[in-house]
Amino acid sequence: MPARRAKRTISTVILVLCGVTMILPFAWLLASALKTRAELVAVPPVWIPKAPQWGNFVAVIGEVPLFAYYLNSLIVAGGISFSVLMTSAMAGFALAKYDFRGRDVVFKGILATMMLPSFIFIIPVYYMMRRVPLAGGNDWLGLGGYGLLHSHLSMILPFAVSAWGVFLMRQFMLGIPDSLLDAARIDGASEGRIFWNIILPLTKPALATVGIFTFISQWNNLFWPLVIATSAPELTTLTVGLKMLAIAFDPNRNSHLILAGLTLGILPVTFLFASLQRYYVKGIAMTGIKD
Amino acid sequence: MSKRTRTAWLFLLPVLIFYAIFLVFPVLSSFFLSFREWNMLTPPLQAPNVGWSNYKYIFTEDRVFLKALSNTFIYAMVTVPVSTALSILLAVLVYGRRRDGFWRLLFFLPTITTPVAIGMVWMYLYRPNYGLINSILNAFGLHSLDWLNNPATALLSIMITAVWAGVGTNMLILYAGLKDIPETYYEAAAIDGAHGWRRFWYITFPLLKPAILFVFVTGMIAAWQVFDFIVAMTAPALGKAGGPINSTMTMVLYMYQTAFEYLNMGRASAMAYVLFVIVLGISLVQLRLFRRGGIESY
Repeated sequence: MPARRAKRTISTVILVLCGVTMILPFAWLLASALKTRAELVAVPPVWIPKAPQWGNFVAVIGEVPLFAYYLNSLIVAGGISFSVLMTSAMAGFALAKYDFRGRDVVFKGILATMMLPSFIFIIPVYYMMRRVPLAGGNDWLGLGGYGLLHSHLSMILPFAVSAWGVFLMRQFMLGIPDSLLDAARIDGASEGRIFWNIILPLTKPALATVGIFTFISQWNNLFWPLVIATSAPELTTLTVGLKMLAIAFDPNRNSHLILAGLTLGILPVTFLFASLQRYYVKGIAMTGIKD
Repeated sequence: MSKRTRTAWLFLLPVLIFYAIFLVFPVLSSFFLSFREWNMLTPPLQAPNVGWSNYKYIFTEDRVFLKALSNTFIYAMVTVPVSTALSILLAVLVYGRRRDGFWRLLFFLPTITTPVAIGMVWMYLYRPNYGLINSILNAFGLHSLDWLNNPATALLSIMITAVWAGVGTNMLILYAGLKDIPETYYEAAAIDGAHGWRRFWYITFPLLKPAILFVFVTGMIAAWQVFDFIVAMTAPALGKAGGPINSTMTMVLYMYQTAFEYLNMGRASAMAYVLFVIVLGISLVQLRLFRRGGIESY
């Protein structure tokens, strides 16, 4: 059928065009990170640098503490993911496997929090973090010091629970048969043991989805780390650090170094996240088709 | 209370404590603060009560806020429908192809990349002299544009980047929706002689509606809160972001500046509440609209 073939060709052309558009900025970034300054600003553009300037990467690492940024991001995103996993699994278990008065109200309430945009919390939460009693030089009334503002906890705590995580864990646990739990109860297992030894191992796929997805979105978070790191530079995460590359290097003279820094900041992580795709893509899609 | 019930509440306890401290209390305090004049240096309870004047000020005297409101409105109303339509097209094109995993990964790459870094890379692509985009335009015989430096095109430039970066997630969700449509529907349609466009319009689209609704609503909610791309693409210093001459100023960015650059917490809280009401309103209206024409009417 020629009509069908024509249609297929058109659709391939559209896909290839869009695909090239998707990959081009990445390719350009990688190539530009290896250019000299002259090659970067050349008109017409130089696509591939004559002699790759690996020294650009060395220069960036010498100037900017990228490793410290990576470490901060790892602590913050890792801490949040761990906390989200534990709290989501516990709450999801309670909502899926126990029948008690008020359960539906609690579940709907948790779902409703997804409608609350995070910017509405930031001012009070920032102030609360400064006023945590007995932390960062504060007295027991929360006065006198800077509270948790110079601790990673100030970046972790406000995101320690995820309504989406609770929702996903609950949906997944609904599929675990009650007979399994009852059998364990007859054998004398406590509820905590059931949760730890039966439920958690069975929910590994959902845990992977929630954990990895939370990690990625927190790794890429800019707003709150920016608020905190402005007063506590030692907590600068990778996102904030990348943003500050434009201040660390003069964009008029050292753009090739800014681009080298961006390359070091995103390409390794993007490829890592891409390789984990199969663990979390299903979870995103699952929320998409659930009403 | 039975032992089981007690156990259930025990398992819920961490989440409930968290919501009390980091959600209920801050939401109420924000509302309280939006009627105060407060710079975060004095105790909040002693901050002078200024009634509705924060709200009055931002809507009547604050030109920048009104500009931010209209910019954010334009941004949401353009990027979300364009991105949704584009992702439907891509999902349909990729669906049923060999190596569909490769295509999905390709479109997905930007969505897992740090948005602030994407913004900074695109800032270079938009450079007027040596930027890649103008080079491509010139190769086709078109004039160079001053993209981010011209107030007339700055917001458009950011919207293009946002669509580019966001289309992959939407496509993925819609692709999963497509996969859930039983093949038998298409077979039945083929017997009835429905192909191509008709097949899409009478089978794919209605059955895909829940997924499209999801993509649209979450897209809207995110678009009204756009921050990262603006910060990355408009100025190195945060206090100067949103230019040139406020042409890319958005609600969350202005709120950030009002709170953490000008230390005007009361006014920033008022802005947060205005944006909150808008976001909430949009999601409620959309949910209702879509439900009325939803699956149950078929």
